[in-house]
Amino acid sequence: MRMRFRAVAALILLSPLSSYVLVAQEGHPLRGTWHGSWGVNAAERTPVTLVMDWDGANITGIMNPGARSSPLEKTSLDPAAMWQFHFEANYKDRTGGTARVMVDAKIQDVTSPHRALVGTWTQGEKKGDFKAVRDN
Amino acid sequence: MRPHTFILLSLAAATTLGTLVFAQAPAASTPAGPTGTRTGRASGVRPPSAPTPRWPDGHPMLSAGPGKTGFWNSGTGGLTGKNGMNLPTNLEIGEVPFQPWAKALYEARRADQQKNDPHARCVPPGGPRQFHTPYGLQLYELPEAKRVLVLSGGGPRTWRVIYMDGRPHPTSDDFIPTFLGHSVGKWEGETLVVDSVGFNEQFWFARAGYPHTESLHLIERISRPDYNTLKYEATIDDPKAYTKSWTGGHYIYWVPDEDFEEYFCQDNNRDPSHLVGQ
Repeated sequence: MRMRFRAVAALILLSPLSSYVLVAQEGHPLRGTWHGSWGVNAAERTPVTLVMDWDGANITGIMNPGARSSPLEKTSLDPAAMWQFHFEANYKDRTGGTARVMVDAKIQDVTSPHRALVGTWTQGEKKGDFKAVRDN
Repeated sequence: MRPHTFILLSLAAATTLGTLVFAQAPAASTPAGPTGTRTGRASGVRPPSAPTPRWPDGHPMLSAGPGKTGFWNSGTGGLTGKNGMNLPTNLEIGEVPFQPWAKALYEARRADQQKNDPHARCVPPGGPRQFHTPYGLQLYELPEAKRVLVLSGGGPRTWRVIYMDGRPHPTSDDFIPTFLGHSVGKWEGETLVVDSVGFNEQFWFARAGYPHTESLHLIERISRPDYNTLKYEATIDDPKAYTKSWTGGHYIYWVPDEDFEEYFCQDNNRDPSHLVGQ
């Protein structure tokens, strides 16, 4: 009985979430939350979260929301160049150190709810690949 | 093949094709001008229209009226281009004042044949799209409640409330953006003018796929120049997607003596798997 109650309660709690993920953001293609990673190879990955907005003239946002968040700087998007996106930020690592980050990526499958940012991530002397997918 | 066999096969093919066409568009009408001389759905010629029906106070009635049946044959028309049911004042698509990102996104949607149109997944048709969603439309004015209800027969059978009691829009802090936004209306002479804000970004406001943002502000102008004709016009004001506001619209014709059939997009919806590119 208790298990059934918990199952029903879980369904009730999760049902708004499940209906929410059926729809996608159809406005400015960068707006919203993106999850992904960057790394110099497939084994060494660093998770990245981006939260972006569009104010009508500029793309604004932060990297890695929370205690170590950093504002996105020098953002630009060129729709005519296959949706080329650039930003820079001061990445903050767990030790408290910071490193300048430059990202150049293109939006792949821009009409899709599952569109992705794919490109390169340059952090100090390191350069690796970067991919993030937009949350629904 | 013998001649009579060929004729029989041709007749069978024509009948099947006709059945399919009418099954998808049960109340199709042929676009023409807003007068009573346009061609119609079954006879090919629409009879001259009766005058605009009116409420006792003289303002236009947008529904069938007491004792009568009928619905607006939505499903055709758009906001750009001047062909068919569209208004002769519409912009051509090249004249729409897109911001660069919005133009590129619109073109990308067209290039992939709108395979990711959320409406195909039963997402509600906000704004003008409610007026060109197939399977019918009703506009019921409830004077005692000071509301107009816009009921869609197609899609997920969306209904929208237009408040006619003079209330303002809620402030942006008071509500979460929605598919249908918040609509207030008033009569300006022969025209119902509807002001809507508070839209989310999870739908396309027109079938063509023009992008919008949460800053979308719509002014819709709805009139009934004669019994059989509804004129619909929308001004799109969204400074985050367009460099200036723009206007477009279309006519919708009345289907007398019928009501729209029950239809739910969610019921056995097979459309997504049939879309090109999926």
